[in-house]
Amino acid sequence: MFSQFFGNYLLNHGLVTTDQLSDALARQSQTRAKLGVLAINAGYMTPEQVDMVHMQQQKVDKRIGDIAVDMGYMTEAQVNELLKQQGLAHLQLGQVLVDSGYMTNAQFADALFNYKLENSLTDIDFAEKTGNKVNEIVTAFFKLDGLPQQTILTDYVTLLFKNLIRFVGDDFVPLTPDSLPVLHTGRCAYQKTHGALESTIVFDAPDSAYTAFASRFAGETLSDSDEMTDAANGEFLNLHDGLYAVNVSDEYSAIVNIDPQEYGRDITFKGNVRRISLVYPFGTVNFSVIQ
Amino acid sequence: MSAESLKVLICDDSMFVRKKLSAVLNKCGVESISEATDGEQAVEMFKKERPDLVLMDIVMPKMTGVEALKAILAEDPKARVVMASSVGTQENLKEAITAGAFDFLQKPISDAQLEMLINKVSR
Repeated sequence: MFSQFFGNYLLNHGLVTTDQLSDALARQSQTRAKLGVLAINAGYMTPEQVDMVHMQQQKVDKRIGDIAVDMGYMTEAQVNELLKQQGLAHLQLGQVLVDSGYMTNAQFADALFNYKLENSLTDIDFAEKTGNKVNEIVTAFFKLDGLPQQTILTDYVTLLFKNLIRFVGDDFVPLTPDSLPVLHTGRCAYQKTHGALESTIVFDAPDSAYTAFASRFAGETLSDSDEMTDAANGEFLNLHDGLYAVNVSDEYSAIVNIDPQEYGRDITFKGNVRRISLVYPFGTVNFSVIQ
Repeated sequence: MSAESLKVLICDDSMFVRKKLSAVLNKCGVESISEATDGEQAVEMFKKERPDLVLMDIVMPKMTGVEALKAILAEDPKARVVMASSVGTQENLKEAITAGAFDFLQKPISDAQLEMLINKVSR
């Protein structure tokens, strides 16, 4: 789950643009991290050593790992260990960014090192999907610390991220959240919750992203005018809010009731709005918790 | 009773869920499927069609799934109503089973879960 936040870090530090990130996200799943990126991430090789190995590879017909071993930069055991990490999402993202020329190996290495340092993260944390560390990052990222319903909101947002990864796809990056006094939506699906979480949850997006999100969730191609588009997005909200109610009941013996989902366009919601925007390859979608 | 001869009523306010469940039921061989969009309509359709199985959402407009379950069982105490909800809290589960639900499925419902249910009902 940290990969998504790492993408945001790159964006916020001006290391990539939204368009570059969106392009990289679209190609991330088809890419496997190469040994150079993996070695830098593990601290086994410096970016300069990786460049040296690549230069050497142009002269000899050998695999990168074998050359790195020949040059004394890594052991065979280290190469084998790294090859098992090729599917880690943040490294796949880094690989696409480097391959596309959006970042150099050195820039990627610095960014990853600084991100881990600032958030006290290890590689093991990056591979994990649960645990206290996830809650810590979510709380800090969404500035939920000290809010009256901090635990409830942190749990809500953490589960939202897990459900997005599970039902829609992990190729998104969250933008820095907004706090607004009022929300003006585009096309939207929304649902009211009561009890331990008194709120209106709103999902909205420009038409094309709204339809693309629904298509992903439904597992079929939907059109803007299709009633199923609203129904699919409403069901994603309903499913997420329902699962959240189950968690709250199990963990805190508290009750969250939900109303039937509704749909609309160009609606104004008033209240304390915390809006989370997510950049997917198909566009930006927004989830808002209004209290 | 074979799956082909089963009559199933799906009650869910979400067109998305009705379409998905209907498609899986078709794959399981169920040919007679009808759909209701709220609890009130489900009760009316149950009275007319007497389905062998009802798949019932809980959170719906007009009449909730649990209210509809009770109304259906008042009409036919042997009716097989399976609650299908994303809100599978212990409270909802207990309320539904106490009221006489045949089973409770937590959404998202997998194809395999639905297939098992059809096999169980058509035995």
